[in-house]
Amino acid sequence: MPRPVDDSQPRLAAGCRWGGGGDEGKMILFPEGAIRVQGTGRKILDRCDGQNTFREIVQELQAHYTASEPAQIRDEVATFLEQLQQKRIVDF
Amino acid sequence: MLPNPLALIAEITHRCPLHCVYCSNPLQMAGANSELSTEIWLRVFREAGELGVLHLHLTGGEPLARADLCELIAGAHSANLYTNLITSGIGLSESRLGALVDAGLDHIQLSFQDSREDAANWIAGAQAHAHKVELARAISKHRVAFTVNVVVHRQNLDHLEEMISFIEQLQPDRMEIAHAQYYGWALQNRAALIPTREQLDKTLTIVAAAETRLAGTIRIDSVVPDYYARYPKACMGGWGRRLMLIDPAGDALPCHAAGVIAGLEFDNVRDQSLGWIWRESSAFRRFRGEEWMPEPCRSCERRTEDFGGCRCQAFLLTGDATATDPACSLAPAHRIVEAAVLEVNLGEITSREPENPQPVSASSLRQLQQQTAGFWSYRMNPE
Repeated sequence: MPRPVDDSQPRLAAGCRWGGGGDEGKMILFPEGAIRVQGTGRKILDRCDGQNTFREIVQELQAHYTASEPAQIRDEVATFLEQLQQKRIVDF
Repeated sequence: MLPNPLALIAEITHRCPLHCVYCSNPLQMAGANSELSTEIWLRVFREAGELGVLHLHLTGGEPLARADLCELIAGAHSANLYTNLITSGIGLSESRLGALVDAGLDHIQLSFQDSREDAANWIAGAQAHAHKVELARAISKHRVAFTVNVVVHRQNLDHLEEMISFIEQLQPDRMEIAHAQYYGWALQNRAALIPTREQLDKTLTIVAAAETRLAGTIRIDSVVPDYYARYPKACMGGWGRRLMLIDPAGDALPCHAAGVIAGLEFDNVRDQSLGWIWRESSAFRRFRGEEWMPEPCRSCERRTEDFGGCRCQAFLLTGDATATDPACSLAPAHRIVEAAVLEVNLGEITSREPENPQPVSASSLRQLQQQTAGFWSYRMNPE
């Protein structure tokens, strides 16, 4: 099972894109399904544009959530992206 | 409160160059001269977007038979719909594929009949397989979600592993292993298509192993066929609850096969908006909610999960659209499904008798032809 590394540049997989109505209803659409992503998940996925690296995404989140352990944030972002990769929603 | 429909299935034509024996299209099909115009479809897609529909499934017949497909996809894309093309690939050149993707196509679902060319063409009643293989290579070069679908049944399940390996080398993002469902032409040909219990058991093991092996590379979707399941399928996610289907002539149906149910009247998108149809059409209201349910559904704790199963299947098998789906083991009419399943499984036992070496599942094209020629009927084209 692949986990993102520092230089990985995650992006939405082919045929997966943002859709739905308005800021509140924003969803990721993919074949035969859709998921509503809010909060931290949304923050992460908004940055998955194929340009930002995993390291950069983690650093931004660590700067935002100063009360949490940096190592724990890194681990959680990696797990989140790995799970979406398994569903073929994110590539890196 | 009535939720929005989430997906719109647009059967844009019933014309098709293939004649698959398990086609789910109705036996009475809409002819080319009754098809909706480009303008009406574009209006329907705009209304769908405004209504909150997320996914549009363009299907048929063969959607590529419509010359305006590219325009339809562009219109759906501007209406903010996630657009899926369900196709046999016949009529799709590399340049037309590029144009469809540029118009905003999000997902393409290419169907295969088998991994073996001769058997695939026999089932489709057309020389289609080689073109599909070529097309699959072209699709994987584009940035579009790619699903390969294969319909499985008694005549091809014995080489399911071979079919999965075949699909794997076509490099899709997703693989659908779809058991034939017995509506339309498939119901006519059911006796040749129902798998044996032994085949089904092997299928479960093979699919589970493939899912593990291909995790993160190819997503596999496969469900147990309802004739062998304990409970019925949640057909269309519940009647008038999540999906609507527009047929080539513009009739709005709550389910693919709803046209078979006697007494239902369908509203047409030529006369009414999609929103009005969703809320008011008598066909959509007929089996919405739980009011219509008989026992054992009415007091069953699963009624909010499977909604009593499929109304069309209930009508086709019992003549009563309000009956519990006979696929349900609790249904009063379950013996109808049990009898169909028993017949094929008894057949299998008989075939092991040395004096009657009749195979139930063909292992060669010649055997397949011997077993099925003149026995099953190929899907015909509309007038």
